[in-house]
Amino acid sequence: MKTNLIQSYIQGTPLIQQYNSRKAEDNFDVHKELATRTFIKPLPSNGHLVQNTIFDVPSEIYNDIKYNFKALKHSINGEANDHELGYLNDMGMKFGGLAIASYLFARKSTPLTKVMEFVGLGSFFAAMDIWPKLALQLPAYLIHGVDVRQKYVDNYGRKKLFYQDHQFIPWNLYSDEEINKIGDKMGVPKDMKNRRDFIQEKMRKIALQNNTLWMLTSGFATPIMSALICNALEKPITNYQREKQIKKADELLKNFPQEIKKYSFDKNAEKLNLLLDNNVSKNLTPETVNDIVKTMTEGLDAVTACAVEKDIKNILPSMEVFNVNSEAAVKIQNLFIKNFAPLNLSSEISARIIPDINAIENTFNEQGLLTDGVKDFSEHIKAVQSLLERNIQKFTEENPNNPLNNKLTLFRKKLIHSVIHGDDSALKITLKSKHSAVLSEDIKLKLKDTLKIINDLKSKNIVLDQYAYIKYAQAPETVLADDWNSISRNLLKPLGITEKEIKDTRYDRKLVAKLLRDKFDAIVSSDSKYFEVINSIQKELSKLPQIRIFEGEGEQEIGDGAFKEKVVSTFKEASESLKKYGMNSTAEALAGFDEQGTTSLKHIYLKFVDDRILGVKSSFYRILNTLDVYRRIAKVENVDFVLNSTMPREVKEELVELCKNLLISAHASDYATKFYSRRNVELNPQNKAPDFYSQIETHEGKVVNRYLGTHKPEELAELSNDRKFFEAAMKLMYDGELHPDTMNGIKDSVFKQDFLNYRKEVLKYLGGDKYFAKPNHLVNGEVHPSSSLLRMLLLGSAPDEMISKLCRQRYNSTKWLKIFGTLGASLLGVTVLAQFFTGRMPKSSKEGR
Amino acid sequence: MISPIKNNFNSIRFGQNDDREKALPYDKDTLLKNNLSTRSRITIDKVTKAFTVYPAKGLKGSINSNFYEFLTMGTVPYLIGSATLMAVFNSANKYFAPFERAKASALGNKMALGVLFYGLFKSISKSFTNIPVRLITGVDTQLPYAKVNYQLQETPEGSDLTSIEYHKVGESVDFTRWDLLYKDPKTGKQNEVFDKIAKKNGLGENLNDSDQEVKPIYKEILVKSNLARTFSSYMWAATGVALAFQKSWENFFRVATLKFWKPKDFVHSLKVFKDSFVESAKELYNGREHSFSKIERYSGKALLGLASLITLLGIINTLHITKKPSKISAKDVMDKNKESVVN
Repeated sequence: MKTNLIQSYIQGTPLIQQYNSRKAEDNFDVHKELATRTFIKPLPSNGHLVQNTIFDVPSEIYNDIKYNFKALKHSINGEANDHELGYLNDMGMKFGGLAIASYLFARKSTPLTKVMEFVGLGSFFAAMDIWPKLALQLPAYLIHGVDVRQKYVDNYGRKKLFYQDHQFIPWNLYSDEEINKIGDKMGVPKDMKNRRDFIQEKMRKIALQNNTLWMLTSGFATPIMSALICNALEKPITNYQREKQIKKADELLKNFPQEIKKYSFDKNAEKLNLLLDNNVSKNLTPETVNDIVKTMTEGLDAVTACAVEKDIKNILPSMEVFNVNSEAAVKIQNLFIKNFAPLNLSSEISARIIPDINAIENTFNEQGLLTDGVKDFSEHIKAVQSLLERNIQKFTEENPNNPLNNKLTLFRKKLIHSVIHGDDSALKITLKSKHSAVLSEDIKLKLKDTLKIINDLKSKNIVLDQYAYIKYAQAPETVLADDWNSISRNLLKPLGITEKEIKDTRYDRKLVAKLLRDKFDAIVSSDSKYFEVINSIQKELSKLPQIRIFEGEGEQEIGDGAFKEKVVSTFKEASESLKKYGMNSTAEALAGFDEQGTTSLKHIYLKFVDDRILGVKSSFYRILNTLDVYRRIAKVENVDFVLNSTMPREVKEELVELCKNLLISAHASDYATKFYSRRNVELNPQNKAPDFYSQIETHEGKVVNRYLGTHKPEELAELSNDRKFFEAAMKLMYDGELHPDTMNGIKDSVFKQDFLNYRKEVLKYLGGDKYFAKPNHLVNGEVHPSSSLLRMLLLGSAPDEMISKLCRQRYNSTKWLKIFGTLGASLLGVTVLAQFFTGRMPKSSKEGR
Repeated sequence: MISPIKNNFNSIRFGQNDDREKALPYDKDTLLKNNLSTRSRITIDKVTKAFTVYPAKGLKGSINSNFYEFLTMGTVPYLIGSATLMAVFNSANKYFAPFERAKASALGNKMALGVLFYGLFKSISKSFTNIPVRLITGVDTQLPYAKVNYQLQETPEGSDLTSIEYHKVGESVDFTRWDLLYKDPKTGKQNEVFDKIAKKNGLGENLNDSDQEVKPIYKEILVKSNLARTFSSYMWAATGVALAFQKSWENFFRVATLKFWKPKDFVHSLKVFKDSFVESAKELYNGREHSFSKIERYSGKALLGLASLITLLGIINTLHITKKPSKISAKDVMDKNKESVVN
């Protein structure tokens, strides 16, 4: 092997010595040196390969960040070198990425979507970094023993990729021993000529091929990998966020006194103080009263604000008492002038018609009408009117043919009559210009104290609102919404719905209804399967933190006891305090009449949470109840109380068919219209078959119909007179004992009693709802008035709708995952496989030529 | 004046077939005009080769593959990645049920537009730095040149030994291609480029060694403009994404079509694009006007403001040249005719 200069240098031959400027000083002749060129020799390298372990990662990250900042500083000063400028692109990209994530973070409204913006950004950069390491560096190292992403530090301390530039690879940084070791791993014969050259070339080739593969694959890999990372992280982040949200909400109630201090209404209080201080001991005007009301009702809901206004007006002295003094005479004369202005009276006529100020004042004085505390102005009006009338009469008598005469009488009447019935006349309004009411010091203090109570309540309500929103709002990512999602998703598995069934039924709710009916039939026909499913549902429902028993109002209740307690105490405290200041209407609006009403603000707070919980739990209870009814029918057990010996077999079959469908698909409107069902019109045929009153028969969960379906469609009709049919259907679905297997499944659950109550409530309110077209279709003939909201919440979501939505969600996410998961996995497979084709050397070089 | 080092080997011919050599567009490293035509030609050449010649060479493990080719191949993941990112948010949508499809597509379309705007805004916004810097300092930081690259023979029969690479004079601050900026000495205007830059930057006219005086300034501008261009272009790219996420684009996506053979629909689509662009820009600036959240109301303004500020600061920093030669008075200049002793 011919040794070249560099190789000699690497081997450390004595010929190569480091240039020493001091030694060269003696007899140094640059021209001679340049002419002979003997002096020009490579300097020894101070570079080295970077050999990091996992423990060096933190210090590496630290050093990289430090270098980045150094590069940035040098760039700002215009002193950066190429290597430093190379780092700017990475920094800029991350800076821009952060700007995008921050902007999208600001636009998103829910915690998860906000966090996912940064997770998306992080996962993208992580994917950019991980892909070449995972798909190229690791397989290449395992297969060939070559680190294709080896880094080195050059003489200037700059970190670079070893195989970055294939026209300049600093091979001297690898010792013979290291190269030979790699060669051994590659299977390069040990006795090969120019072995090091051969290994180096092979390493170079592998690295180049991997770099090219990196460029070709990372475009596909990075977005897919990033999306898959996000997908995988979504669930843990949701769980984490959920726990965080629960903790946050619980902390709100736990630290209630501290939390309410965060919401100060000091500005509002200051505003009222200023207003009261400026008007204390002064006559009140309607404007002042309005300002007081406006300030004190700031931020309140309309109902409470109305009540507060009413109470304030009661606290303030009456605004219907007025003072009449000499100012009134001036105002009355001005009113007269304004009133007669359209007649364009000459000054001479005007002086004759319109009484002067003194005349008015004297008249009032003479009659003792210049007094304070006037409520009734009839005498004043009479006095002024007679003055005016007298003048007009005199003028008319003196000028009988004056065309103004009629007009004067008409305009006089305008003063004492209002255009709008019931309103005060213009004269009365003028007389009422000075209110007697004075804002006393006592009232001022009372109002200040009242506002303190109202503002305190507002602060408390904000905290209660936050708690209720985080836990129960009808919005994405609330605790209740998350629970709904996770529990309903988990129901697909026990129901045994397969991916293929999801795919086939996802477009149509009716297909899902049929699928569900088949699934339910199959489940209830098998004892073990039924037990398993009931158990799963029981476990899932028990996870609902909202289904929590607490001691409330003398009995055990299910719901959020802590919240209820806080709401009750908050409103009780506020209403009692307000009552002390005579704010009785406000107290009633807040806590209800005698704290019992159902239209108070307190009730709205409680009802909001109760309704949200009711809607969710009813939907799950409905599935449980559906399974129970199916089970009872399949086993023909606990159904005799409806399907008894007096009911014809055909009606039984019609009833069972209807109920099975209703349980899966019905909405509140179906119950409200008392079910529409086309039945055989001949209920009581003359020739009854021997099995006319026999019990239904079932096989593998399904009813074996003997009569149902034997008639042509045109022979069927809706029997709206058969009021008992509705009652029977309701009772079959919601009355009677549960099937023993169902009872066994839920007997130890926290919600057993609540579930039994739920059945009773549905029977009572949905069965007791009066429908004008079928007034007698009632359970036990009793009417139980209820709101449509309550009936809707009690019924919950129809199982076919719930499952249909779930199926679509599952299908969408699975489909996406299938497409991109497969693409990602294929790409990884192909990239790893390609490794086996890298580093192939031509035969000639293998022979050492 | 020290003459620049010239490439004395330009006349060397490699390979066997002289006719083929002559067919090459350049026979030596050649400075190109920085205009739209050249830039487009270079872009097309680089993108084409990034997808064809360079990967082929790389996968073969060619001894001639170099860092330029590796960097040029960076376009491949950039373009494929953009398309894949669009696909990630759109390609599965067609399998969804109609309502979900509509919801997913609304987001997917915005994502795709965001990817497109990211690239466009990033590319276009580079001019926000390049143009003012060129107009004020006279330094064209993007001046391209064609480099004739002589390669090693890979096979005994191989004759394709020359390749053309497109670089920029100032792409390296350590090894700037000063030699290309000098004009032919025979014309007597060897330093013309440097003279112009010197004049524009207030160094004076008729300088003996304008090149020596300008080079530090030139280098400083290269470094600083690189910083300004990088950060501002990524900020404008972010602004592009934010713009794409405005609600106004939903109008455009309802009528969007690329079917140019249906001129009526296509023109209408372009018109709605223009309107949506204007509306979304307003929307971005105004934010959610009725929102209680200040962040929602001002985030758009903040992003636009930050992008503008970074661009402006970057340009100001670039124009603030610190490497100008100090003006020394005549008495401080050493007289060459007098003897001096250096200790």
